[in-house]
Amino acid sequence: MRTMSKFVDIQIDPGIVRLAARGDSRAHEIIYRTFGTPVYSICLRFTRVPAQAEDLLQETFIEVIRSIRSFRGDAPLGAWIRRIAVTKSLMYLRSAWHSRGQSLDDDFDETVAVQAEGHSEFSSPDEAMDLDTALANLPAISRTVVWLHDVEGFTHKEIADLMGKTESFSKSQLSRAYQRLRPLLDGGARIDAADDAAFGSCNATN
Amino acid sequence: MTDDTKLQDDPMICGLNMAHRDLLQRKLRELPDTPPPRAVWQRIEAQARAEGLFAARRLGQPMKWLAGAAIAAAVALFALRLPLAPEAEVPGNVFSTEPPYQEATGESASVNQLRAVNALMVRSRELESDLRALPEQPQLVQAGTAATILDLEDRIAAIDLILNDSGGHLTAAQSEAYWRERVRLMNSLVRLRYAQAQRSSF
Repeated sequence: MRTMSKFVDIQIDPGIVRLAARGDSRAHEIIYRTFGTPVYSICLRFTRVPAQAEDLLQETFIEVIRSIRSFRGDAPLGAWIRRIAVTKSLMYLRSAWHSRGQSLDDDFDETVAVQAEGHSEFSSPDEAMDLDTALANLPAISRTVVWLHDVEGFTHKEIADLMGKTESFSKSQLSRAYQRLRPLLDGGARIDAADDAAFGSCNATN
Repeated sequence: MTDDTKLQDDPMICGLNMAHRDLLQRKLRELPDTPPPRAVWQRIEAQARAEGLFAARRLGQPMKWLAGAAIAAAVALFALRLPLAPEAEVPGNVFSTEPPYQEATGESASVNQLRAVNALMVRSRELESDLRALPEQPQLVQAGTAATILDLEDRIAAIDLILNDSGGHLTAAQSEAYWRERVRLMNSLVRLRYAQAQRSSF
């Protein structure tokens, strides 16, 4: 089943896009009012820092204003804007890692792994249902991979290309994130015993 | 993102079975969006205008006449080298000035003017960058300051209109005159905004 993104669902009048391409500020404001919330949400989801998400939102729409003449309309405008927002967010994440002397590969470091096993963040039923919190507690890159793959519908290859990593890296991040999110879902899903047999094997096929 | 002809990744069962995964995806998509603060569009708009990314605002006939008169006066004053407005109340050495005016004679005139235009364009970009680096205008501003800022912005916009719409019909000398005036107005604007930022920080 193909995952549909909120960005792609949003429709905008092609006339507005044409006006925006001519530098019409009102058309750009309409585009901002249409896509500002999903862009801000995804930036906030990735960075978790409101001030940074605001900056990324601003950078994204400045880029939209600069480049909309090159938008050919082959894909929905929302997908094009989302690509800009994701690229800028990932650039921010990379720079943050760089400044802290960490690499993307270290995202799930030893500390996080120990915390995941010993702290049991999702042990109580109330906490278990708080997916937002659980997602926020994931390391940034894992959170980003989960969101891009499961919500925005990116493939592992696309995620790998965006991050300058391999597909295996993307799969690995997703797998480890799932492991951490699974206790959360145990409280809310009725799982057949037969399905549980699937656990324990890592059958990442793509 | 993938196009419609491409298949998405096959289900990945590492860590989650299909029921868990479907549930997770559904719940993730149901998470509410967060609207951005209201002021962000104003910042985007201000930056886009400062970078000249928007088309010039359409002026009504009276405004066109006024803009034309203002430009003509500015160019005339420039030719006479008269100060157009008093300098803002900031130290004079805080900002560098526009590239020096070079008296050009003979065959080298147009070459010198082209060089001068290039230098003025670079300086203009630097001033745009300086302007962007300043903090936002405070909520409360003196009416006189606000009017002066608006006036400077309108005059810069009017010059941009001429430079953008000239279609290469301006002579090198005219182009230099407009760019020099633009740099001078930008310099005044940055000085004024700088002074404003200094005042609001106390």
